[in-house]
Amino acid sequence: MAKKLMKGCEAIGEAAIKAGCKLFFGYPITPQNEIPEYMAHRLPQVGGTFVQAESEVAASNMIYGAAGSGERVFTSSSSPGISLMQEGISYIAGSELPVVIVNIMRAGPGLGGILPSQSDYFQATKGGGHGDYRLLVLAPWSVQEAADLVQDAFDLADYYRNPVMVLGDGLIGQMMEPVEFRAERTPCKPLSPKAWAATGCNGDRPTNIINSLFLDPEVLERHNQKLKAKYDLMVRDEVRCAAYGTDRPYEVLIVAYGTVARVCSTALDDLREDGVGAALFRPITLFPFPYAELRAAAETARAVLVVELSTGQMIEDVRLALEGSRPIHFLGRQGGMLISPEAVAERVNAICAGLRAEVRHG
Amino acid sequence: MTTPVRRSDVYDALAAPVVILVGHFGSGKSEIALNLGLGFRARGEKVSIVDLDVVKPYFRCRQAREELQANGIRLVAPEGENAHADLPIVLPAVRHLLQHGGGKVLMDVGGDPVGARALGSVSDAVVMDRTEHLVVLNFFRPYTETVGEAVEMVRAIEAAARLPVTGLLSNTHLMSETTPEIVLDGLTMAEETAGRLRLPVLAAVADETTARGLAEDALPCPLLVLKRIIRPPFEGSRQQRKVGPLFVLN
Repeated sequence: MAKKLMKGCEAIGEAAIKAGCKLFFGYPITPQNEIPEYMAHRLPQVGGTFVQAESEVAASNMIYGAAGSGERVFTSSSSPGISLMQEGISYIAGSELPVVIVNIMRAGPGLGGILPSQSDYFQATKGGGHGDYRLLVLAPWSVQEAADLVQDAFDLADYYRNPVMVLGDGLIGQMMEPVEFRAERTPCKPLSPKAWAATGCNGDRPTNIINSLFLDPEVLERHNQKLKAKYDLMVRDEVRCAAYGTDRPYEVLIVAYGTVARVCSTALDDLREDGVGAALFRPITLFPFPYAELRAAAETARAVLVVELSTGQMIEDVRLALEGSRPIHFLGRQGGMLISPEAVAERVNAICAGLRAEVRHG
Repeated sequence: MTTPVRRSDVYDALAAPVVILVGHFGSGKSEIALNLGLGFRARGEKVSIVDLDVVKPYFRCRQAREELQANGIRLVAPEGENAHADLPIVLPAVRHLLQHGGGKVLMDVGGDPVGARALGSVSDAVVMDRTEHLVVLNFFRPYTETVGEAVEMVRAIEAAARLPVTGLLSNTHLMSETTPEIVLDGLTMAEETAGRLRLPVLAAVADETTARGLAEDALPCPLLVLKRIIRPPFEGSRQQRKVGPLFVLN
């Protein structure tokens, strides 16, 4: 049986195994417990190690140490747990180590609830931890894409020696879809041996040191600029996005990511049936954000609608992309409430009606 | 000569007053419980569905609360904000229903041996001679991809539930990519599993579209024709969609 019917969490776990990940450190939290459960089951089968840490703080420091050995290492959590990991993530970025972190977002702030949300966009893309660092952030909209992006995440983390986050909402983690794993997979980036890894050298080469402490300000500034140069390369080379319905004329461009984009895509089908001109733009990388691609897609639209499971976070990047060139509307739900295709369609229709009213008055 | 098996026989095959559904999470227990509930209700029976899923936070029977109420089916599940909790809540009503009966009782137990532990806590109230305790199997799911794994799953669930399993339900599918061959291959594997465990396969399950591709006499057991009820919000036809706090109910 080539395909399997998997929950997003299980597919994410299997993807890590397929990517050659041998080490998982984590701490349970709903709605992503199936990831550590799956890793605990699978890692011993492939000669790997699973450790349930005493907390997320500990887990983030365990992946920090393990990544220093050059092995592929992975952790997962959900919103409050990811908050606890921020210190470790900042250290990992500062020490230029490759790790993959999966955040299956639940509604916050604080303990919040256990239902789906997208309210960790700021945390994922704008920092979270301290210091000038960036995570490369990938946002899947299906279980298959989650599996594919997790495998790519390991390659990207190794290539850039930087933490990569796969950001999914609770729905991605819990829903089931058929998934296929390719038998032979080519890495999405050319990878070289990890000559930097602290593996013991027996005096045969200069010692490799993993460190994020630079007391000399000139050295630390150079280090920051080196990191910045790396993030600039990501911005240049790693943008991923997709557009739907842009082959026909459209008045309203919807912008959404993750499973919310799935909902918007269903709304798009309904709108098309009704002869309403709308299209959908979906960022797949949230950092780097597809600013230029979004600006180009919005050029032929008269208005833009941002849809998020938050009170409005990605909308700030949409504003940066459009630089005031188009009116930007927002539709959001919070607390674990989902957005229906009908609500999206209704909002698009209202925007279209407003545009026509403007024409009449103008 | 064998008598042809009719699809409607599934309700006779599952005629025991109490039907308990266990199995790996994602094997289809909740959908089967909801479909059977509506089916028995349509046959005029008084039906209670017990949502004993304390394992997974999403896609549980309780998400169909309003639909069940509208159809005159009693839902036994935590209410209020506890409906959304992943806490090990077993309502007193569960034990009462098991001991004193009251129409058809369908129990949807959480996945895996972990989920079956909640059933274990009320197992002393289960009267086996009026109960079917059934493992739902989908061979496309991780952990139950082979007959050997399925046998292990059944034994582990029996231990956690402190109840003997009395039969299997064959629910091998691949969502919208299911073909009649997938259903038949899965049934063959379920029968092999059943043979190893000396248990019957009480019924096979297939969605409406796939069932149309299965000849009436193709199966050696009754077929439950399933209508998918709990879906993510981007699925379902425009006419059917109705978004609850979490998921679409068709």
